[in-house]
Parts: sequence; structure tokens; C-alpha cells
Amino acid sequence: MVAALGRWANGKARDTAYALGFFLLVIKEVFLFVRRRQVAFHVLVLQILFTGVEALGIVSLVALSIGAVIIVEGSTVLPRFGQTSLLHSILIVVITRELGPILTAFIIIARSGTAIATELGNMVVNHEVEAYIATGIDPIAYLVVPRVLGVTISVMALTIYFNFFGLAGSFIVAQLVHPVPFVEYFSSLLKTLQARDLISTVLKSFVFGVITSVVATFHGFTVSTSVTEIPRAAIRAVGRGFVLCFLADAVITLIYYL
Amino acid sequence: MAGREMAGAEMQEPRNEPVVALQDVRLTVGGFEALRGITVDFPAGKSSVIMGPSGCGKSTLLKVAAGLTPPDGGRVRFRGKDVFQMSERALLDLRRRSGFVFQDGALWENKTLFENLALPLQVHFANEPAAERSRRVVRALERGGLEESASERPAALSGGEKKIAAFLRALMTEPELLFMDEPTLSIDHAMTEKIRQIIHDLKARGRTIIAVTHDAQLTSTLADFLVVMDAGQVIAAGEFDEVKRSHNPRVRAILSEVLKDIASYDTDLLELLDGEPSP
Repeated sequence: MVAALGRWANGKARDTAYALGFFLLVIKEVFLFVRRRQVAFHVLVLQILFTGVEALGIVSLVALSIGAVIIVEGSTVLPRFGQTSLLHSILIVVITRELGPILTAFIIIARSGTAIATELGNMVVNHEVEAYIATGIDPIAYLVVPRVLGVTISVMALTIYFNFFGLAGSFIVAQLVHPVPFVEYFSSLLKTLQARDLISTVLKSFVFGVITSVVATFHGFTVSTSVTEIPRAAIRAVGRGFVLCFLADAVITLIYYL
Repeated sequence: MAGREMAGAEMQEPRNEPVVALQDVRLTVGGFEALRGITVDFPAGKSSVIMGPSGCGKSTLLKVAAGLTPPDGGRVRFRGKDVFQMSERALLDLRRRSGFVFQDGALWENKTLFENLALPLQVHFANEPAAERSRRVVRALERGGLEESASERPAALSGGEKKIAAFLRALMTEPELLFMDEPTLSIDHAMTEKIRQIIHDLKARGRTIIAVTHDAQLTSTLADFLVVMDAGQVIAAGEFDEVKRSHNPRVRAILSEVLKDIASYDTDLLELLDGEPSP
């Protein structure tokens, strides 16, 4: 049993070291990306289109719904405690600090995380990655870095978009409960919004974007020979992406607001 | 003169400066020893064929020799320089000067055929005008008879067309050295003839070719240098005419199995299969 435990621990340590090495290699290539004359710029643009632009619809829907739900819940609960004035603060805190970044990350993990892990896994099985190497193309520089940059940029942009639509959703529902002019509603909201909330949303979205993309590309490359490994890699990419984003969210919130 | 057999690490002295030299190369894959202390020099300007029974490590050896798979031990040298210790610039130069044709083509599925052929030029000839690069791609497609499929994705191509496309892609940078893994496997007769013609044209132009193949006719007409493998080891390596006269029973067994279909082309092989030694 001790030997088995030792082997398990050894394996975990090796896997962690491998993952850390992969992450550091990606960071190095990200810095080199802007300096080199890159054929991968085309890949970056396509990734932003797929991850960012094509997700606008679902992000809009989720954001509007969340904003509406929060205003409804707040409007029914807060008056019982005479705290109706806290409604906008709660909206800002919940949407911009928490739900905006984390729900956007979840949407992107589910859409792009699985797609990236699956696509790279297929490339490994079909020897396409070897073909890139044989051509003189570094797979990290060409396949990983554009995806990391594209997903991170998209998550950050979509998070800001989510925040806006979340607040817009709350406005729409607010008109049903207690109609307020648009300018007055958003002026009141913006007075509650602090710079630290914006910084928090940008920081979290950046970290979630990096986590989502690095985890997905890493697991895509863990596929070796069989196509049956590909769905497993995609599932691991999604699961670990969720867990790491939650952990990062907790750590950032603790550091930032305590 | 009979070719010298490989015993352990004994090595056939090449007559030419080797373009690729493997020294005591070892590789373990998934707990299995795929390559066991291989030492062999592939001569420049000649066509080398690696053959052996299935699972003996031929494709693995080819990928190690091409610098695609790092070995666990030993050295791989390209024109005297250690491939796995090269600088980024030197490695990029190596990739420009060599091409690799994968067994299943390994075309990039998310790109069109045109883009598959254009990408090597974008990497190695970025200073060339885009219009000129496009013209080179179009000319290559026309040579391969695939100009109508330029905007197709690889999934829309037949197996033979994919093989041809893989050749065209590997040749885009006009490499001096070409690695081929089973170039005529799993394709119809017409495409096989087309690919054999491409290979013989390359040979006629003095390119260095290192190929893994079970194609007896291709071996017989292509090979200047023959490497015979068994169970992760090289058991014979040398000039084709010398190795095929080997007295090593295992070498004879492997050669007769692979080359029996073309015995009619070669009276020496008829004698080999009949068990009679050549004079």
C-alpha cells in the first residue's frame, strides 16, 4: 500500500511538473509572439471570432436573464428589511464582481474549452502536430499561443459585455416593477460602481481566460494515439477549468476585498 | 562482395559522407524498447530504404532520424550537427532542407489543400511576395494533378490524393532530403504508379531519400542503401546489392518475405529464394 501510494504521489508530482513546464513554455512563447513575424496571427483572429464573436448571442441571453433575476429577487426581498436602497449596490457587486466574470468563463469553458481540447487531440492522433514540427512550426507558438491570447482577449471583452447586458437586463425588468427613466437608472448604478469593481472584473476575466485556454490546450496535447482519449481529454479540460476558475475567483476575491 | 551483417553495434562503413547519422540510439515507448542501440549512417545523395517485419521500429527509426522524436539515448546528427541540440535557427534551416511524408499524409484538416501547401512557404519564405508564393502553390498542385481540389479540405480527398498532396507539401521548400513513411501504402494502383514516378524523379535529381516501405517494386528500383531491422535493432545495413546477398538467415528471411513479389525482376533474388548462394 505504501508503494502504491508512493507511485501515485510520484505520478502526481510528475504530472504537476509537466503541467507547470507547459505553462511556463506558453508564457515564454506569448512574449515572443508579438516580436516574431508570425504566421499564427491568422489563427489568433479566427480564435477571437469563434470564442468571442460567436458567443455574443449566448452571453447576451445569460446576462439579460441574470440581470432580470437579480432585480426581481432583490425587489421582493430587500423591501422587507427596508433596504431597497441597497438594490443597485447588490446588482453591481453580484454582476460585475462575481457573476459576470465567472459565468462568462463557464460559457467559454463549455464552448471553447471542449472545442480546443478536442481539436488539438484530433491533431495529435492524426499526426498533424508532427507535421507542423516537420515543417518547422513550433506547435506551442502556432497552436497554443494564438488560442491562449484569443480566448483571454475574448473572455475579457465578453465579461465587460456581460456586465453591460446584465445591467441592461435588470433595467428591462425594473421597468415592470418600478419604472425609472433610463438615464436616471444607469446614473444611479454608475454612482455605485467603483473603480475597484472594474479592476476586479478585468483581473478576474484575464485570469479565467488564461486558465480556460491553458488547461484546454494542455489536455488536448495529453492525447497520444487513440481517438477514444479525445472525449476524456475534453471532459478533463472542462472539469479542471471549472475548478481552477472557482479557486482563482475565491483567491482574487479574498485578496482584493478583504 | 557480400554486405556485412550487423552484429550488436557493428557498423557498415558508408562510402559517402552521411547526411543523417544515428549513434547508439535508444528509445522506449510505453515501457516497450522500440529502438535498441541503433547505429547507422544514411549516405547523402542516395536512396535508403528501411525494411523489416511489422512492429520492428521502422517508422519510429524514421521519425528519430528526421528529428521528430527525441531518443532516450544516443545521438542523431544531420551533416555532423546534433539535431536535438540545434539552435532554433539551425533547426528551422534543417526543416527547410528536409521534408517528411507521413504514412497517412497528416494533412492539416482545418486548412484547404492550397493552405496546406502554402504554409511551409509562409514559414520559410516569408520575405517572398505572397503572389509568388501563391504561384508556386498553384504550380505544385498542377504537377500533382490536384489543381481542381485547391479549395477543398483534406477530408474531401481520396486516400491517393492525400498521399500526393502530402508529397507536394513536403516538396514545397525544395528540400535536399526527403523522409517517407510507407509512401505507397493503402492506395490504388494508378496512384501508386504516380507516386513511384514522383519518387524516381526525385532520385534522378540527386535528392537524398530515406524511406520505410514494404513496396517490393519500389524497393528494388529505388534503393541504393538498405537497412534491415528486426525487433528494434538494425541487423544489416549497406549497399542494396550487398545486403541482399547476406548470408544471415534472419536477413534472408526478411528480404525474401518482402521482395518475393518482384523476384522475376532480379535473378539474384530468385537464387536467394531458392536458397542458393550467389557467386
